[in-house]
Amino acid sequence: MLTQESHKALVCIQCGKCTGSCPESGKTLFNIRMLVRKKQFQAVVDESLPWYCTSCGACTIRCPRDVKPSEVIIEMRSALIENGSVPLALQKALENTFVQKNPWGRSRNKRAAWTEKLDFEVPHISETESKRLLFVCCIQAYDPRCMVIPVNVATILHRAGLEFGILGEEEACCGNEIRRVGEFGLFEELQEENIANFKEYGVKEIITLSPHCMNVLKKEYGNLGIKVSHYTELLAPMVKEGAIASKGSYNKKVIYHDPCFLGKQNGIFDQPREILKSVEGIDFLEFSRSRENSMCCEGGGGRMFFEVEATYKRNAEARVEDAISRGAEVIATSCPFCVMTLEDPATEKGLIVKELSEIMMEVL
Amino acid sequence: MNILVFTKRVPATQEEELRLISDGKDVDFSKLPFKVNDWDNYAVEEAVKIVEKGGGAVTAVSIGSAESDEVLRRAIAMGAKDGFLVEVDQALHDPFARSALIRNFIQKEGTPFDVIFTGVQSEDDQFASVGGILAALLKLPYVSMVIGIDSVEKDHMIVRRELEGGLQERVRVATPCVVSIQSGINEPRYVSIMGIRKASKVERKSFKGTDYDAGKDAHIELVQWTYPPKKGGAQMLTGELGDVCAKLMEILKEKGVYQ
Amino acid sequence: MSYALIVAEVRRGIFEERNLDSIGICAQLGKETAMLLPEGQYSFNEKMVDSIVKVKAGEEVFLNPLNMAAIIGKIAETRGKPDFIVFTHSSSGTEAAAYTAGIFGFPVITDVSGYDKERGVFRKSYYSDKLFGEFKTIGESAAVLTVRSGSFKEFAAEKSAAPNEVSVEDVPVSDSRTFVEYVEEEKTDIDITKADFLLSVGRGVGNKDEIPAYEELAGIMKAVISGSRPVIDKMWLPKARQVGTSGKTVKPKVYLAMGISGAFQHIAGMKDADCIIAINKDAEAPIFQYAHFGVVADMHKVRDALKGILKG
Repeated sequence: MLTQESHKALVCIQCGKCTGSCPESGKTLFNIRMLVRKKQFQAVVDESLPWYCTSCGACTIRCPRDVKPSEVIIEMRSALIENGSVPLALQKALENTFVQKNPWGRSRNKRAAWTEKLDFEVPHISETESKRLLFVCCIQAYDPRCMVIPVNVATILHRAGLEFGILGEEEACCGNEIRRVGEFGLFEELQEENIANFKEYGVKEIITLSPHCMNVLKKEYGNLGIKVSHYTELLAPMVKEGAIASKGSYNKKVIYHDPCFLGKQNGIFDQPREILKSVEGIDFLEFSRSRENSMCCEGGGGRMFFEVEATYKRNAEARVEDAISRGAEVIATSCPFCVMTLEDPATEKGLIVKELSEIMMEVL
Repeated sequence: MNILVFTKRVPATQEEELRLISDGKDVDFSKLPFKVNDWDNYAVEEAVKIVEKGGGAVTAVSIGSAESDEVLRRAIAMGAKDGFLVEVDQALHDPFARSALIRNFIQKEGTPFDVIFTGVQSEDDQFASVGGILAALLKLPYVSMVIGIDSVEKDHMIVRRELEGGLQERVRVATPCVVSIQSGINEPRYVSIMGIRKASKVERKSFKGTDYDAGKDAHIELVQWTYPPKKGGAQMLTGELGDVCAKLMEILKEKGVYQ
Repeated sequence: MSYALIVAEVRRGIFEERNLDSIGICAQLGKETAMLLPEGQYSFNEKMVDSIVKVKAGEEVFLNPLNMAAIIGKIAETRGKPDFIVFTHSSSGTEAAAYTAGIFGFPVITDVSGYDKERGVFRKSYYSDKLFGEFKTIGESAAVLTVRSGSFKEFAAEKSAAPNEVSVEDVPVSDSRTFVEYVEEEKTDIDITKADFLLSVGRGVGNKDEIPAYEELAGIMKAVISGSRPVIDKMWLPKARQVGTSGKTVKPKVYLAMGISGAFQHIAGMKDADCIIAINKDAEAPIFQYAHFGVVADMHKVRDALKGILKG
């Protein structure tokens, strides 16, 4: 169980660094410093508040006392979950994950449907020599917008001659958001199911497509003795060494958005940039807030599955405006949730959002 | 008030293409996940809400395979006191046979109750008949499509039935009685996995359907299953805008939403 | 004498259209028909049935399943046992059908949408129409059926002679279940989950000024207007009108999606509509994968053309 010791609310000195870094503070009713205070006194918290958190992790990174405010939120959510008071849309997502192992309740039997778009066969992990697993996970497996990510990454790896396999229908949701929503019991079930498969098939290495999956598999599945990496970590050196060589050029002004779970929470800033910069023709730009200071798109922490009640200017929109002011034509990112949240305002303002693998596919 | 509520484990078919096997005599469920019947979930919630407010106890009963214990654990996690499983080896397709089995079980075991709740229908067979037949067999009054329970008194309840077109009917029904609950009557609480694990520690009683003549009182038999007529992807309407719009209006008329 | 008893669905003086399906299935079954009606005037083509049995009781007594079982018992005493007792597949029809079957020990098949004369089997929906089950009744007793609306009405036809009319008197009235009153559902804002026809607008609408023209179109078409997330986010339509995982899940008869590309979260909220019509500029829009009918066109042009037809 991950609840008890995961935060240290009692040592909080109320310095407010957490609130200062929080993407929800100011424009919504969410005040992380105040919630930690309430935790210290076990005071009653309005039920709607904990659900605003996007789990970006900025507060936990910035905290000088290692309080881990984002874990305080998860604990508060967990209490609400055990009490049965969950926003309806989130309740559906959890019930779906219980039944079909993905938050949208799509058929588990169609989890490998994306492979139909490939012109080669992807073997089941058990049939590979390398025991290198491409962990696809829910949004990439089912969302028509994000399904291109596994298709692209699989194609790139295949062309580079790297062997890998998938779990197909046996794969279950990684549980990163499920844990952040506070449904620890469900998280444990998903974890147990995936770990049992990793063990049964002797998985030695895992490549994830979403930074969210990478985060949980690497840091919250216990010590599995399996190397877990985001696909950009794998591709960056291959690009450098010429194992993946771009043939075409991409003559656009491209700005890179750091996903919270890849960048600030896991320190992967350079690899995606190296990949993009290697592409001929790209005029590479940076946001005014980038790397550790990157602004959260608000797609994490379960926020993909439900809407908070307040209506306010979304961060994604602010992000798009910043991209425009920097002269960008394309926003590149390497997280499916960021793609989904940024694309709406971007399309409206005439900008294109590309997942990194999409740009690579255009030039390979 | 003591409430007996029936809950059924059903395959989650909404996202699936179902496959027939053995020449249409069976449906292949081997790869389907199962879940609690949606209507029963509302019925359990309503029963629990009533006892939380006015006292008494909820007993959840499920008829099905051993795996139906799942929905009993769920009901207990929601607030039911007991869970009874009446195990049958084969699905009882005929609602009459199900109702007869329930009647036999209740009478033989002398299970006490003030009210029996069922869901209006189950997601799989959509017969919407078990509650009504059961009421008749037990010689109790019956109300179905209940979308609101306005008051629970000592010897009666005032309930609202959902009719068509946004109309409801308020009805007074004497207890004991059988009530079939419509989805939407409440917002069923979330049941966490930890909650279900805790509920697993509450002992559930298991009974053998054969002790209650399961399947003996069948009045209809399933001949075979068939697929619905095939429908293709989107039919694209092309041509001049005016013609396309005229076609659209025809479709709306055909579907009965525009006169 | 061999006959089918049709229990008419009536409500507040109206003879429901779907009773024609009950009449139609009796024609398929080759049975003479006796239609049961409560006191009062109901407007329908009486020549479609062989006889009319007027129950000397008001609607509220008639629509109570406990009373209906007693009424059927009385009719069987004088007229002989019917071969079929047919109800509409409706709130009250299904309620009374199951109860009647239980009282008399008759087989019951509900939501019947097909009948195979040669094989004598009834077809009923399973798993929301993903499959159909074919059923036979066991034994010789009367069968109770509820009939799906729209399934058999084409077989309802006028008879050569006007129906004879008989009446049932001294109806026993149950006091264990009694009618109190009708209640109209409270309406705060319109509940889009209850609408039969939704006109849903998406990002393609472009800007707020275009919305009233869609509201006007919805008004003329008697559709309820709804929207996808981008439209709600901008507060062009109220939150209660949002279709999708973060809004409402809807199952209308017709879902007319204009300028909606079909984000996954949106699709999840409307894919179970009986009929989805998508209008989008982009022929590659994912919504076309889920739609039954598609039009690749500018939504505003379609809107104006539809208005032209409807007003003209």
